[in-house]
Amino acid sequence: MSDTETESETDSLGPNVRQTAAELATGDRTETLLQTDGLVKQFGGFTATDDVDFSVDEGELRCLIGPNGAGKSTLLNLITGTYEASDGSIYYNGHDITDLDPHQRVSRGISMKFQVPSVYGDLSVRENVRLPVQQFADGEERRRLVAEAIEAAGLTGYEDVAAAQLSHGQQQQLEIGMAAALEPDLLLLDEPVAGLDVAEREAIAERIMRLNEEQGIAFIVIEHDTDFVASIAEEVTVLHNGEVFREGPIEEIESDPEVQRIYLGGES
Amino acid sequence: MVNGINLALQFLDSFAFIVLAAAGLAIIFGIMGVINLAHGEFILIGAYTTTLAATQLGLPLVVAMVVGGVVTGVFGIITERVIISGAWPNWVSQRTLGRDVIEPLYDRLADSMVATFGLSLILTQGARIRFGNSIDQISTPFGAISYGSFSYSTYRIVLAGVSIGLLVATYYLFTRTDFGMRARATIQDKETAQAMGVNTDRMYMLTFGIGSALAGLTGALFAPVISMQPTLGDQFLVEAFVAVVVGGPSVVLGTALSGGVLGAILAVFSNLYGTFIGRIALLVAALIALRFLPEGITGFIEQVQKRRQESE
Amino acid sequence: MSTNSANGEANSSLLGRLRSPFEGPNTIGESRGFWVGFLVAVAALVVYPVFGDGSQLSLFMILALLGLSLSLVWGYSGVLSFGQVVFFGIGAYTFGVVSINFATPGGITAAVVAGIVGGGVSAAILGYFMFYGGVRDVYVTIITLVSTIVMHTFMAQTAGSEWAIGEAALGGFNGMPDIPLLTLGVEGASYQFIYNPFPMRIIGIGAFEISPFYYLVLVLLVGTYLALRVLVNSDYGRVMVAIREDEDRTEMFGYNVTRVKFIVFTLGGALAGLSGVLYAARNVYIDPTVFSLLFATLPVIWVSIGGRKSLLGAAVATLAVEYLRISMAGELALVLLGTLLLVTILVLPDGVVPWVHQRIVTARIGPGEDNGPNVPETSSEVSD
Repeated sequence: MSDTETESETDSLGPNVRQTAAELATGDRTETLLQTDGLVKQFGGFTATDDVDFSVDEGELRCLIGPNGAGKSTLLNLITGTYEASDGSIYYNGHDITDLDPHQRVSRGISMKFQVPSVYGDLSVRENVRLPVQQFADGEERRRLVAEAIEAAGLTGYEDVAAAQLSHGQQQQLEIGMAAALEPDLLLLDEPVAGLDVAEREAIAERIMRLNEEQGIAFIVIEHDTDFVASIAEEVTVLHNGEVFREGPIEEIESDPEVQRIYLGGES
Repeated sequence: MVNGINLALQFLDSFAFIVLAAAGLAIIFGIMGVINLAHGEFILIGAYTTTLAATQLGLPLVVAMVVGGVVTGVFGIITERVIISGAWPNWVSQRTLGRDVIEPLYDRLADSMVATFGLSLILTQGARIRFGNSIDQISTPFGAISYGSFSYSTYRIVLAGVSIGLLVATYYLFTRTDFGMRARATIQDKETAQAMGVNTDRMYMLTFGIGSALAGLTGALFAPVISMQPTLGDQFLVEAFVAVVVGGPSVVLGTALSGGVLGAILAVFSNLYGTFIGRIALLVAALIALRFLPEGITGFIEQVQKRRQESE
Repeated sequence: MSTNSANGEANSSLLGRLRSPFEGPNTIGESRGFWVGFLVAVAALVVYPVFGDGSQLSLFMILALLGLSLSLVWGYSGVLSFGQVVFFGIGAYTFGVVSINFATPGGITAAVVAGIVGGGVSAAILGYFMFYGGVRDVYVTIITLVSTIVMHTFMAQTAGSEWAIGEAALGGFNGMPDIPLLTLGVEGASYQFIYNPFPMRIIGIGAFEISPFYYLVLVLLVGTYLALRVLVNSDYGRVMVAIREDEDRTEMFGYNVTRVKFIVFTLGGALAGLSGVLYAARNVYIDPTVFSLLFATLPVIWVSIGGRKSLLGAAVATLAVEYLRISMAGELALVLLGTLLLVTILVLPDGVVPWVHQRIVTARIGPGEDNGPNVPETSSEVSD
């Protein structure tokens, strides 16, 4: 079991993560942050992702699109370690992380927001935000980071409200805030604007771009809404039937007849 | 050779016991996400009803057994309406307090365990108060078959046949009938099933009724061979739970598979080292199975289904 | 320690700072009124043996420790265990075996430690097997239930003379009698807690005897309750609660969920072991009924009725339910207990104590009204 080494990793989480984020914010290096190599995931006889080679550079903002059943969520869950890969490898910052537990990947700087908003409903907003922050900050610094995260999520004044009572949009903001409070290098968002209205979508888009530009966090965003995708990302990866189908600038992808075909005919 | 036959019979016996013990529990757990800790007491109701119907009313055994199953089924439906769904208390409270007092126990595993445990206490003690520490038993029909130095109750072989028949019937019910289709739709995705016009409320009520009737039938079938006391349900509980969790959420297939695997283990170890070791071996096997298949044999299959749904 | 900014500013007084580690969103009772009520309740328990049956109450308080162990494991970490009695029983039997073999003050003291360690280690083994094997949710519950039944089946057939550890015969259903009287210390400097009444005389009440064992148990119960309050309101407690609410999410915040569950389960086992040691010491006897299905579900009943997410609820409900169970000692007792359980879980799924607390906070009744000596939760919530 890997539990003994984990302790030290968790302890060193804060400084590590912040250092890298700071480096990224100042430096211009663009190196590959995440790389998957022949990634396969099978459930019983069903192949959800098939031989996926996919990479994200440091500080990049990448959107992942594709018709239903294309394997987008599966790919994200493979990157976070929620699912174990059937075959293939995942490299992060040049290290093979394929066999690491989810929490170990988090301590290396990968953070995730789930498809369904999964804040802790019974806990207050403050308690929710403390949970990621308490790992690397104490006392006055913790108080400051918690307050900042709540403010960035636009939830000032809601500190003592149970998270379950927030609106859907507020929960999405809170969850992004919690994931970002870990100060990751790579943040994975699974349909962050599903079910939100236009104003809420714009707020989320702005938030993502700010985190990307100001803190140098790289993103992988799954989203169906191509307008939203176009508003935040330049590079897009299209998954289809568990495989990488196209990769390129959003304008090119949008006008690609093959992509249009799989979307229209994509009643899988 | 003789020991081979003995082992085979012992396997059939164990298989029948496990499958019959588990069937009702498995259906209720698989479809409703409710763990019925009063399962043993439902078996008790079936056994007592059958015995009393035969001894007091003088009904023929087969008829008495059917009565046992039906009475338990009806009791199950009442339990579902009053406790599990809270529909009847809520009907009353809606008219008196203007609000629901009970939130249904569907998919609230821990709460359903606690609530049905309360019910089990009431039923066991109620049976003790009403009928005393034991009631007269009906005699085992059919006599025995002998071979060599062994003698074996024919009735127990009949039970094995019945258990297989029950599995087939349940399988048919859940795969070939309209009810089964709705049931499976409800397991897969409750909301979608509702959207497709399945009355999930009624579905749950019927499911609980069928599961209870099966438990009652188990009690009825075992009534001639076990001693009639208020705690008789306890002896089924362990095998039932073990079979359900080892089998996983896929009701019929899971029960059949775990009945086969665990029945074989129970039979072999009992045959070689006695019943105590057999029982311990069964439990240890269950622990090991859960350790390596945390969600049972068929839990993995369900994961696949869930995964498919998510990506669709 | 937890930086509770909500109370941080307010609690500038010495008293406030003293209280702050015990308070937080994970426990009820943060007001001065609560703590006054708490002290009144403890004081009532201190003088109770003068007026009532201290021996019986000491049993209830021992069981309250068992209830607290389940509240910790289930209520705060979301692991519903039917196996607390396994660790309780192993603690009790270990204490019996070691103390019978080494019936000296030093040996008995070591037996107490061995019992607690026995509970903890057995929980650690089972916990490691389950949590590191990826067993989750209801399957954990079933495994713990099966473990209880395994222990019951096993201990029940240890009647033969081959089932003896040194001088101590396990005794099957007949149990293990003649457990030495609980004596703590070493040779020459020890104190016997059981059957060693302490004569007292108070003017106006007269002469009476008090049992040192009662006070030992009381101190352990109050100490454990306060220590668990500190734990659940700490950073670690926040992680436990987060795991209860959503395991996957908590893993995605970088926490080793498996290890936290393992540690809490082990701690809960040690606490159940302590409870078992005291149980065996009080009765100077132990038998396999502690592994029976009924006994296994009692902790679940206490904690469900009291409120699983409330340590206070677990402790208070244990005392109340056991008192009811003993005083209703007719054949209807179990029926009433079952009904109580059923109605509570259906109508008040969060338990009675949090509900009462909520009522009081909303109604803001003045402190001290309608609270019996054993029900500190009915004291009111007055904001500081």
